[in-house]
Amino acid sequence: MEDEDKYNVCTACSILCDDIEIETENNSITGVYTACRKGVSRIQTCNEPMPCTLDGKDTDVDTAISETANILKKSENPLIFGLGNSTEGAQKKAIELAKQLNANLDDTSSFCQGPVVEAILNGEINYTCTLDDVRNNADVIVYWGADPANSHPRHLSKYTYFPRGKYRQKGYDEDRTAIAIDVRESSTAEICGNNSYLIPPQKDEELIDALIDALSGKVPKVSFEMNKKRILELANILKKAKYGVIFAGLGLVYSLDNFEPIKRLMDKLNEVSNFYFNPMIGHYNMRGFNQNLFNETGYINRVKFKDSEVKHGYEYSVVELLKNKSVDSALIIGSDPMCSLPGSIARNLNKIPIITIDPCETLTSRKSRINIPSALSGVECGGSAIRMDGVRVNFEPMIETSKISDEEILRRVMEEL
Amino acid sequence: MDFGKFLETPEYDIKIITYRDIFQSEALENSLFGDEYKDLSAIIKLDSKDMEKMGIKSGNIVYLKNKYGDVVVKAVESDSENPHRGYAYMPNSPWSNSLVSDETGNTGVPNYKLIDASISDAKGEDIADIEKLEVVNV
Ligand code: SF4
Repeated sequence: MEDEDKYNVCTACSILCDDIEIETENNSITGVYTACRKGVSRIQTCNEPMPCTLDGKDTDVDTAISETANILKKSENPLIFGLGNSTEGAQKKAIELAKQLNANLDDTSSFCQGPVVEAILNGEINYTCTLDDVRNNADVIVYWGADPANSHPRHLSKYTYFPRGKYRQKGYDEDRTAIAIDVRESSTAEICGNNSYLIPPQKDEELIDALIDALSGKVPKVSFEMNKKRILELANILKKAKYGVIFAGLGLVYSLDNFEPIKRLMDKLNEVSNFYFNPMIGHYNMRGFNQNLFNETGYINRVKFKDSEVKHGYEYSVVELLKNKSVDSALIIGSDPMCSLPGSIARNLNKIPIITIDPCETLTSRKSRINIPSALSGVECGGSAIRMDGVRVNFEPMIETSKISDEEILRRVMEEL
Repeated sequence: MDFGKFLETPEYDIKIITYRDIFQSEALENSLFGDEYKDLSAIIKLDSKDMEKMGIKSGNIVYLKNKYGDVVVKAVESDSENPHRGYAYMPNSPWSNSLVSDETGNTGVPNYKLIDASISDAKGEDIADIEKLEVVNV
């Protein structure tokens, strides 16, 4: 049966596409339309749903929850990590739980787009806009160290380059220019054709300064092989933009020591034209976690609660906590640190009891003392999330499930405590 | 695995740039433990001239190593139109993460995107399944 007039939200990346149509039969999804490959695959749910286990043996959810409470109670310095794939409701619960336990709390933004989101929420970068603004207005779109064709497959088609927009009726044919700046010839760079600029790794700041010079009427200089004419040509496109946007990928964020170069460039661009800046966030609700924690503590990640105090700093980042072996248990929610952290750091997880809450089996869950299966948000349970551009998106479940949401699991863990 | 035997084969320095691939992401959504995810993850894309110099052919199994870890993956000739000698590309995955440094210079952020490693022919060694990677077995 097709739900003709109902659109669903895809939670496989932080664009949170809200135009997904599905077909269901006997409460299972038999067709997914409009979504990209990654989205279809997420919505069809995983091949290895997580079993509820304690010490490798099957158990029931009640036992798993009370054992979780026992471990956390005994723990002197627990870590709560993940939540980029959880609803805002679950995130708020996790913050409460961290407070109650005097725990460390961190998420993946700690080693990816955190600095950018922090600068936006602190008001250090004012030049942000929504994806809808981009669709309606943008004529120059710059992907810097980002490859949305692979990471956010519908970014170009739904919001930036290809669509018709209110003031961009001719779409990419005539009305829009897409530019890629990257260290490799990515799929997005191929789409950008002649407007793709290849630079050597770690040279992003040099190119930023060369562009600032070119925009100031000076002769741009770089230490690597790049024709001056090419830099001037790029500066010229940026200068002529009526509504330009830079989308910053991890390639750019990782290559800079701090945020100053981006601020310099944005200030210059807004002196000579009209430019906005947005981060390419991966997990569907990483920004929600950052925003919710910021509202509560003034920090976006890397916090340690200590009675009524909140400590914050790199030493409370998941990477440093595990590297220094300073935590004695880990509650992992909707994340797979064994997969995503450097092996040299993630291996320390093997030394402490881990509790994993996730809809699917993960590498971390296979090494966990306790596994609690949760409903897959966006498919099996509803809630809200903050899109990569700061817009709140609400979603309903697509099918019914007997599994409980991570919000409910956390609530019950708190009750047991 | 006897890594000592790799010492006899020539080693070359390489800088690895990591990237994301939609087909690999799709495979991950289906099954982290499946062959498809492994086949699309445990690879390194090399410049054809570098492959010639190293005597490595597309499809050869290679051994990557640095002071943070080691991993066995499949070498593939790069499809990039622009030459990128000295640089190789790997999709971001637990296989590439096996080589990522734990040194962060007190920033809490490891350098995932640019990894220095050495590469040598692994002479038919097996590529480790995800659950056999060192990260889960120490
Ligand atoms: S672009 Fe992202 S949100 Fe949209 S369908 Fe693909 S994975 Fe889902």
